[in-house]
Amino acid sequence: MRFFLLLGLLLALSFILQEFLPVFDWAYGSRLLLVHTVFLAAAIAVPFPAMLVMAFTCGFLWDARYHVPIYPDEASLGILTQSEVPFGFTIFLFGITGALLQGVRPLFRRGRWELPVFMIGLCTGIILLLEYLVISFHRGGLEVSPEFWWKLLMTCLFSSLVSPFLLLLLSRVAERMRYRIRMDGLKRRHTYDGDAL
Amino acid sequence: MSRLNLIFLIAFIGLLIWVTLFQPGAVSTIQRGAQVAMRPFMKASNEIDTAVEGLGGESLSPAQLRDRLKVAEQERDRLKLEVIQLDEILEENNQLRRALQYREKSPLSLVAARVISRKPAQWYNTLVIDKGSDEGLAVDSPVIIPLGEEAGLVGKVSEVLGPHSAVVLLLTDEMCQVSAKLENSQEQGILSGQRGATRTQPNLKLRYLSKEAEAKPGSMVHSSGTGELFPAGLVLGEVVSLTIGVIDAEVMVKPVVNFDDLVDLFVILPTQPLETEATKPEATAIPAKPVSAP
Repeated sequence: MRFFLLLGLLLALSFILQEFLPVFDWAYGSRLLLVHTVFLAAAIAVPFPAMLVMAFTCGFLWDARYHVPIYPDEASLGILTQSEVPFGFTIFLFGITGALLQGVRPLFRRGRWELPVFMIGLCTGIILLLEYLVISFHRGGLEVSPEFWWKLLMTCLFSSLVSPFLLLLLSRVAERMRYRIRMDGLKRRHTYDGDAL
Repeated sequence: MSRLNLIFLIAFIGLLIWVTLFQPGAVSTIQRGAQVAMRPFMKASNEIDTAVEGLGGESLSPAQLRDRLKVAEQERDRLKLEVIQLDEILEENNQLRRALQYREKSPLSLVAARVISRKPAQWYNTLVIDKGSDEGLAVDSPVIIPLGEEAGLVGKVSEVLGPHSAVVLLLTDEMCQVSAKLENSQEQGILSGQRGATRTQPNLKLRYLSKEAEAKPGSMVHSSGTGELFPAGLVLGEVVSLTIGVIDAEVMVKPVVNFDDLVDLFVILPTQPLETEATKPEATAIPAKPVSAP
């Protein structure tokens, strides 16, 4: 329980820190999406229901702060009342990517972080790409410039670079609190370092 | 899948559908709440940004600083006089407009605003200013910046977050579309940013020009006022290149406004007090189309 409370605090802190993170012009206007990275790292360490709760909370708060209500042209005709990227879409994206990361939980449990780190970067990219595709769908026609790919790549890279530190933090905290990683379908239960209980 | 997981998954999907069905008014209320909660951090972040930008600047001696201060004070005094003169001209202009019964042509009523957050959304070029519904801002209010004797278009208000904050959609965004005309020409088109464009390459596109359009690199592009959202004569940018297509022509335009250095802006208020998003408890109507197509 204490582990989940700490995760909640960490996520809240990430929202505050996100405000202070700069946009790097040299990296094609990309930035570190700390909230995404913290969520994705945490999604590896918690069970499926807790991941869903986190996905909903983080997605909701992200949209509450960063959602831009741009309405597609059809809105003026009375067809649509939703903005291009609907409010709540981030919840969906967090849910999907969080579920993907649940697949690498056994690796995190064993202390093998290569794939989790790669997956965190990849999932950040998937989130951004899906948002862009939804915007493109509304506007008709897919315009993909080299800058777009660079921006996407750099954002993924920032997430991947930060994620080992987050995974280290989570693993240390899990170890300290004797947080048990339970895996569905497995008979044995493990502590963070893989010892059977 | 265990029963617990299934229950949580169903609850998650149910909540997700519920949230996506929120009306724009409810979304606006939620966002106002988030802005209020995060405002201290946004302000602190902006102050840090400003301080950090200053660190990289050249270091000047006290004598040089004094000289600069003197020049700045002279410039301030000159501008003060200019503002007084401009106010008189504006008033005279307004009277003439009224006399000519151009009722649809409103006098520019400006509100000064300061940027409180310039972190753009991932796929939208936006910033947040410290003026909102209390000052009469409404969705689609044009945002300008003085450029010498002219005014440059920065963008338009895309959302009024609360009594003292609003989101500005920058001209570099694809969804901020302005009807524009070329200097010394009757050619008119629609100017907008490019999707996914970065701040480092914020070239704009002036589209739907006729095939016979002529545009020399360096010539200016102004708003035409045709769309009625943006007043005519606002400086938008200068021509970089012209591309003649099969049925029309388009011009690449370099914006004159430096979007990285925006601090103090002016918002053109609507002529009649519009019902803003912030004053609406529940939005029942579909929001106005945010595009100023002519």
